[in-house]
Amino acid sequence: MDVTTGFFTQDLWTWWLAVYLYFGGLGAATLTTTFLTDMYMKPHKELVLWGAWSGIVMLSLGSSMLFIHLLDHLAVIHVLNPLVLFKQPNAWIAWGTQFIVWMMVWGFLYSLPYMLESEFFNRIPILKNILAWPLIQKIGRTCGRHCRLCGWLATINGIGTVVYTGLLLQSFPAVALWHNPGVPLLFTVSAFSTAMAFLLLVLNLAIKKRTEDRALRVFYERTDLMLIAAELVILFSFFFYLQRGSQSAAISAQLLWNDWGWLIGFIGFGLLVPFFLELKGVIKGWRSPAPIMLASILVLIGGYLLRHYFMYAGVYARPW
Amino acid sequence: MTRYAMVIDLNTCVGCNACMAACAMENQTPVWKNSWRTYVHDNEIGSGEEIHRRFFPRLCNHCSNPPCMSVCPTGATYQLENGIVQVDEATCMGCGACAMACPYDARYEVRYADVKQGREFFGEETFRRTRPSMDKCNFCAQRVLIGRKPACVETCVGSARQFGDLDDPHDPVARMVASGTARPLMAHLGTQPNVYYVDDLKRRG
Repeated sequence: MDVTTGFFTQDLWTWWLAVYLYFGGLGAATLTTTFLTDMYMKPHKELVLWGAWSGIVMLSLGSSMLFIHLLDHLAVIHVLNPLVLFKQPNAWIAWGTQFIVWMMVWGFLYSLPYMLESEFFNRIPILKNILAWPLIQKIGRTCGRHCRLCGWLATINGIGTVVYTGLLLQSFPAVALWHNPGVPLLFTVSAFSTAMAFLLLVLNLAIKKRTEDRALRVFYERTDLMLIAAELVILFSFFFYLQRGSQSAAISAQLLWNDWGWLIGFIGFGLLVPFFLELKGVIKGWRSPAPIMLASILVLIGGYLLRHYFMYAGVYARPW
Repeated sequence: MTRYAMVIDLNTCVGCNACMAACAMENQTPVWKNSWRTYVHDNEIGSGEEIHRRFFPRLCNHCSNPPCMSVCPTGATYQLENGIVQVDEATCMGCGACAMACPYDARYEVRYADVKQGREFFGEETFRRTRPSMDKCNFCAQRVLIGRKPACVETCVGSARQFGDLDDPHDPVARMVASGTARPLMAHLGTQPNVYYVDDLKRRG
């Protein structure tokens, strides 16, 4: 044991960064999933409108968390300029900012034709007048003609955002828990799992087309089940990776696997309980949608807990 | 080419903290909230009667492969040709990614409130900072530019800090590094740091 080395967690990026990563991943994966569903599985106006707008709201909420905590809010203009990617091609926040901005832009454009024909949006004061502007109508028609292009541009940026949330943590070399290729994979799987859970809630609570959307719900349930299983496998390998290796990793493992919030909250209620609820749904089915909705809520809470504990369990070795 | 580096001899650091004071005055750091560009840790090592006090000066390591620079989204952290890693306070948005990436805990926040306090503490006319940023040591680049040594080196009473050019084979700093007498911290991380330490524990036995 090196007596001169101390081990410390950080208090700079805490729960608010976890919220940023969570809403970034969830919002982007939701938007991506709804667009791919609409393009290749089943054209679904309500789902696109719910997915696009909840995705945009979640991304705005997440981004505002980072923005609020900036030291100099005016300097954010430097990272909003797309040319920053040529200047800082290795900086994941620069890529993430561009992915988020462009995903929201293309997400809005993909949903615009649906918005123009939506009764809900055409009832909202002011907005209905804006939607009636000839320019907006023209943009909507153009986007409708090139919906695949808009959809894929949003999807590419959406997947970029999801992966970025993991790559951001991976770029910090001093922390063994973060600086490994498993993090982007774990965060990507988790983001799509939470997106499936969110969309199952939307389909069950908001859209409520029980018969018409049955195949879609089953598809989302099965996909979520596989994603939860993949997440458990990744966590299993993380557990063994952290046990042997650097002392920083071993201390992170102690912090995580000795914490009831991580063990019971995240792995227990956030992964295992929804896994078995959805497994029963896939194998034998449920009479009521309530168990799947419960599983979805638990997955959504678990998704946040993963990022929360990951932020707090990052350990730095200080050789003094 | 010039590649600036610092060697810190832990055998001769007496923990007077003059380096911290000199740096704070030279670089106008927010001392009121205990934030420093260089900090001297005061540790006790050993057990029973075999305890000795160890002073460990710490600062930015001006890495040749600086993770703080690669993660900086705005390009505010940049490297001069002589190896000095600097922060442009006008471009820095203060996201803190550099602090998260730094293995040497070299970064600290300067907020708008600190800029205001700095004007009162250091004087309205002499205080240079106008914006917040994630600040760090810059090897006193403004002094090095005119041929002087960093403030911490110049003021060190035990000559524990030495500053030199690694690309000059006759420079004592380069010779200590080349001989392995002075070694970097956490070299395994691949940051290629340019602050080297002469160990005190080997000599103490």
